[in-house]
Amino acid sequence: MEKHISIVNQLAQLDELAVAIEGISEEWELPMSLSMNLNLVLEELVTNIIFYGYEDTNEHHINIMLDKEDKLITVQIEDDAREFNPLLMAEPNIENSIEDRKIGGLGIFFVRKIMEEVTYKRDGNKNVLTMTKSIE
Amino acid sequence: MEVTDTKKGDYLVINLSGRLDTSNYGELEKKLIGFIEAGDKKIAVDCSGLVYISSSGLRVLLMALKKITAAGGKFHLCCLQDNIREIFEIAGFTSIFRVFDTLDEATA
Repeated sequence: MEKHISIVNQLAQLDELAVAIEGISEEWELPMSLSMNLNLVLEELVTNIIFYGYEDTNEHHINIMLDKEDKLITVQIEDDAREFNPLLMAEPNIENSIEDRKIGGLGIFFVRKIMEEVTYKRDGNKNVLTMTKSIE
Repeated sequence: MEVTDTKKGDYLVINLSGRLDTSNYGELEKKLIGFIEAGDKKIAVDCSGLVYISSSGLRVLLMALKKITAAGGKFHLCCLQDNIREIFEIAGFTSIFRVFDTLDEATA
């Protein structure tokens, strides 16, 4: 059941990511909301890697693995960007008023809210983020 | 994503359909800023055709809300699909945006 999506560090690849998630979701018969949420989590993480991860302008590969066992989905992202542990990011204050509401930080917040277990490890020159999500 | 606009009473109605994400939020941002700078102070965004939104899309809507609120105007949303509403709720956006069930209510 393991699926792999390999993309490079270009925003245009987000479309391919979306198409790939849609295909896997259909094959696994996932509810639409879960499929959208997986797409969202991956878009947020990949976007962060592409925007902030690299100090050069070379092409880099970002490898995504999805696995389904019974009612549990595991998603893993592996990249060779600079060390970044999203679990150390401060959470945005979502109770602020309109004026005080900050425009950043939501992406990682979504990852933490939507996914269940999220673990990060630095493996050599790679960031490996592993997340799980139950199918309801 | 498709962005179209019409007039309904005092309101400029913006219809969003498809996916609003990191690859296309700039297009919506440009249009919204254009309308706001042209003096539109009552805007309703009809999201009935919106099937996906990420934080980039939410940022654009928040930017528009801030600008219009600061100018004393109104920026309403309506007709969120369940998936989109869930994302708004997680982000805490349902408490800062006025979100209506129907376009009629959003433009009343």
